[in-house]
Amino acid sequence: MSEELKDKIPAIDFNRLRKFLFPLLLIFLIMMSVYTVDTNENAVILRLGKYYETTPPGLGFKIPLIDQIYKVKVDYQYKKEFGFRTLKSDKKSVFKTRGYENESWMLTGDLKIAEVKWVVQYKINDAKKYLFNVKNVENTIIDISEAAIQLMIGDRSFIEVLQAERVAIADEAKIYMQKMLDKYEIGISIQLVQLQGVVPPEPVADSFNEVNRAKQDQETLINEALQEYNKIIYKVAGNAERMMTEAAGYAVERVNNAKGDASFYESILVEYLKNPQITKDRLYIEMMDVVLSNNKNKIIIDKDIENLVPFLDQNRLGVK
Amino acid sequence: MKKENYILIFIIGILIVVSNSLFIVNEREQVVITQFGKPVGNAKVESGIYSKIPIIQTILRFDRRILEWDGSANEIPTKDNKYIFVDTFARWKISDPLQFYKSARNEMLAQSRLDDIIDGAVRDEISNRFMSEIVRSTDRKMGVYESELESGNEEIIKKGARKVIVESILMSVESKLEELSLGISIVDFQIKRMSYNRQVQDKLFKRMISEQNMIAEKYRAQGEGSKQEILGKQIQREKELISTAYLTSQEIMGKADAEAMDIYATAYSKDSDFYNYYKTLETYKKTLDPSTVFILSTDNKFLKFIEE
Repeated sequence: MSEELKDKIPAIDFNRLRKFLFPLLLIFLIMMSVYTVDTNENAVILRLGKYYETTPPGLGFKIPLIDQIYKVKVDYQYKKEFGFRTLKSDKKSVFKTRGYENESWMLTGDLKIAEVKWVVQYKINDAKKYLFNVKNVENTIIDISEAAIQLMIGDRSFIEVLQAERVAIADEAKIYMQKMLDKYEIGISIQLVQLQGVVPPEPVADSFNEVNRAKQDQETLINEALQEYNKIIYKVAGNAERMMTEAAGYAVERVNNAKGDASFYESILVEYLKNPQITKDRLYIEMMDVVLSNNKNKIIIDKDIENLVPFLDQNRLGVK
Repeated sequence: MKKENYILIFIIGILIVVSNSLFIVNEREQVVITQFGKPVGNAKVESGIYSKIPIIQTILRFDRRILEWDGSANEIPTKDNKYIFVDTFARWKISDPLQFYKSARNEMLAQSRLDDIIDGAVRDEISNRFMSEIVRSTDRKMGVYESELESGNEEIIKKGARKVIVESILMSVESKLEELSLGISIVDFQIKRMSYNRQVQDKLFKRMISEQNMIAEKYRAQGEGSKQEILGKQIQREKELISTAYLTSQEIMGKADAEAMDIYATAYSKDSDFYNYYKTLETYKKTLDPSTVFILSTDNKFLKFIEE
């Protein structure tokens, strides 16, 4: 080896190297063999590629180079949205629903189309399975969720989907999804499947609103008619009541008058019977008194005069 | 050069050789060892540390996990000649890495083989089924609009066969894969989405709109009908009330008149002559008013004293 080359490659001074290298190596080794697991995590350790153990949150030790650590958020609720996306999650959340018709429009059992929006919440319940059994877990959850909901919607009619069957759909879809995921041994547990909205697709939405409006029109018509009915009938009932009350009044009057007249007659009859002729005469005279005292047209003729009447001024007498 | 440098070079050389002859298979992998491109020995399908001849032998790593297959939506005619887009997915596995390496070579090629196999199976099965069989999975009775039942929509009546269809596609793919011995096994197959093409969809929407309009009209007509019914009831009730009141009042008045008559008759019959006399005088008082002309003869009872 030439001298020049020898100058360029510095000779290794093992004594000096030992002084620095050893402590450095030690620090490096310690750093390499300690790891921390956060509170909502589990760590999975592979030793020489083989599964060794799953450790809970806290400080852990591993053999450097030989052990491989995978940290998994096991205590975390993951959420996937279908048919819509939350753009801003706040007190007043903002959602985007347009442009997800591929996801949300699905065939119902009576071959119509319903728009279904739903969310799925899940947790990793087995870190080892989650890490090593399925490639691309998230896509798998999405695929299965869509297949499950479509299957449930496909077996129900459009109106069932919109009305009565919503809870059943979510429940059955959840069971179905879990069954599929368990088949894959994916280490996921479905916490919640919830239908956020099941509505007619946008192009037909207005005709459904029209039905609601028609229902309201129907009620309005009935209410108006009932109002009119009540108004008239109360009035008529009042009139009828009045008619009957008046009749009752008449009846009382009629009977009382009769009783009064009868009692009057009976009273005078008693007096009359005591002295019939005298009473008769007196009554006659009293009558003549009343009749004649107010009358100006009195003509008295002797009983022997015959045929007088034709001579009287007929005009003055008002005889026609 | 110093002696120590040689030692260092020797150690590095040993390390390279050792590291080239040892390899780790982790939980996600399986490994095939090849020698000049040809596989040697069994595939390593368990995790752990393994050895091989350095430099001469190389290793190929394959995934041991369940892998994705996502089909593209294909428009397929059904048995009742309706076109439907069917979007499917599957999950598969490299079940025999040695065989997989020999026939499928890599995941990308395997995916395209799966495309052919699965799409074919889907097409065969779908085109042999009725639309509603594909959509529905059971034959439970569905609640539908009355108008639909009346029109006797046969499609609704067909029994659902979705699960059977999926199962049969899965089986057909399974046997195809076995036949081709690609080292692949299918884990699951599912129909993800189904949809109509634009024209069919537009037609459907039109039908749905007209159906809703019909329902709306029905509600309005029912409302109008109820209104007329209420008006009719109103008139009925009106007449009922008035006639009942008339009946009752006539009864009351009639009874009163009868009673009055009875009272009069009882009283007056005690001396009817006197009554006649008395009543007649009373009537004179009332009827003979000041305009009456009296021509009185002297033989009148009242004037009998004048004559004398």
